[in-house]
Amino acid sequence: MDPANHPPQPRRHARRRWIVPALLLLVLVLAAFVIMWRPAIAPQQAAPGFDPATIERGQRLAAVGTCAACHTVDPSRPFAGGLALATPFGTVYSTNITPDVRTGIGGWTEAAFTRALREGVSRDGHLLYPAFPYDHYTRLAQDDIRAMYAYFMTRPALDAPAPENDMTFPFGFRPLVAFWNILYLKKEPWRPDPAKGVEWNRGAYLSEALAHCTACHTPRTKLGGTDFKRHLDGGVAEGWYVPALNAKSPSPVPWTREHLAEYLRTGIAPDHAVAGGPMQSVVENLRLADPRDVDAIATYIHGYLAQAPVRQTRAAVPGSLPAPAAGDPDLARMRIGYDAYVTACARCHEVGREATSGAALPLQKAVALYDPDPRSLIHIVRDGIAPPDGEPARWMPAFGAILTDDQTAALTAYLRRYGAGQPQWEQIEDKVKKAKQP
Amino acid sequence: MTTYHLRVNGREHAVDTDPDTPLLYVLRNDLQLNGAKFGCGLGQCGACAVTLGGEAVMSCLVPVSVVGERPVGTVEGLGNAQAPGALQQAFIAEQAAQCGYCIAGMMMRAQSLLANNPTPTDAEIRRHMMPNLCRCGTHMRILRAVRRAADALHGKGAKA
Repeated sequence: MDPANHPPQPRRHARRRWIVPALLLLVLVLAAFVIMWRPAIAPQQAAPGFDPATIERGQRLAAVGTCAACHTVDPSRPFAGGLALATPFGTVYSTNITPDVRTGIGGWTEAAFTRALREGVSRDGHLLYPAFPYDHYTRLAQDDIRAMYAYFMTRPALDAPAPENDMTFPFGFRPLVAFWNILYLKKEPWRPDPAKGVEWNRGAYLSEALAHCTACHTPRTKLGGTDFKRHLDGGVAEGWYVPALNAKSPSPVPWTREHLAEYLRTGIAPDHAVAGGPMQSVVENLRLADPRDVDAIATYIHGYLAQAPVRQTRAAVPGSLPAPAAGDPDLARMRIGYDAYVTACARCHEVGREATSGAALPLQKAVALYDPDPRSLIHIVRDGIAPPDGEPARWMPAFGAILTDDQTAALTAYLRRYGAGQPQWEQIEDKVKKAKQP
Repeated sequence: MTTYHLRVNGREHAVDTDPDTPLLYVLRNDLQLNGAKFGCGLGQCGACAVTLGGEAVMSCLVPVSVVGERPVGTVEGLGNAQAPGALQQAFIAEQAAQCGYCIAGMMMRAQSLLANNPTPTDAEIRRHMMPNLCRCGTHMRILRAVRRAADALHGKGAKA
């Protein structure tokens, strides 16, 4: 026999041993491919015409969706994208959603636009990162998607390629998002709750699907998905603590529905709260929305805020904040904090409060003093509150370069103890240092 | 009244005043350093900008009690009419002042930029100078002057 035609037995066994795992691997690769792959949708040559009423409706809905908060960086170039969003998985840049064919969505049909909103898939088939809240938009009514499509397709086309994302390994491989989608993307249509009224249901739809309030006001899991078991329990956005909007609301003054509606429309709930940090751009957008929609959001969210128990807080006690008690175990730090309070803050927030102080609150009423951690308070002290051009009332100067880190930490600790009368926060010094990082 | 020891433009000064007195008032009224101007008194215009520990601050908002040992820098520390500093020379060369009220603050804000970032891009200069306002509208000349000073101090075209 010719040995060449009959290979030795052991090698044949070895081959057989590999067949099953190889097949399994092939099946896995195929399955992964099926899960991860999405086809491109052919580009359109020109956008269809739209009627003005639809475009205007789309504009108002896009305001509720706060699209501009991420997709507009330079106000003179609306929706051209380019905002850097730091996530635990890397830095993602918002994209150009103007109808520019090369760098924007000019070639996108309504079907492609709809797929992006409902499934997080770009026109060319690549998966979008969930920094874009398609896990909320997935429940939008088609009619509303169509109106927003009409609005964006009729904006001035701007040439603006998105900057390259800077993801940590292995998240730069976009198809992995498909597995996130299995866990967190629930592609189901919106269903109203028949037990509730029309306005509540409108507010629920807008808050959950379009305005995506829960995206920031609900904690996220380690994989970055919204943890719906802790709905509206409070979260994090851009280094700020985002307050809980349910029974855990830190607000020392109970929210009324009217206060909340005014806050959402103007950024100020008189004598109660002032929008700062990432909430500012939400308010900026909402003032362009249909006021009835903003009222509906207030009605829905207030339903949860009303669960907060009425508490006895310092907010009800008028007058000056006290000097630290002689027996305070942290007296040296408290004195530094009190000195900074009296000389720097009280000028607008207390004794020196006058018309030019705008909406400055007596600090025993400031919600940030009652937060579970000091991040938002530190950000407000350091960065101030700088509203958009033309709106003076919400303005507060930045004290980041005026106060030393030690003074900022001492002020934070003093306000927590003698402003809010709450148990002291931990690691304030660390958080002051973290707040300095861009 | 408390006595505060301040280090301004490299010199030590002792000042008796109330703790909440704005640094601006101490500079102008007690130390006769009139370069920093009173504009709005609310920290919104930047006419009173000086450097504190190397960072630009609105001195009308700085209570003297928080200054501590941090060095204070005013426009007088950059140079004088006989021997103008690099920033002052650049502002003169670009004729960046019209009424001139904002210029001392503009130069001190620019000074804090150049001290921390010797080779700023034009975009960085714009972003850094944003808090300071000029009612005459000489912003373009001011930006050119800061560019010129940066180039004079650290060589031309360090960054695009």
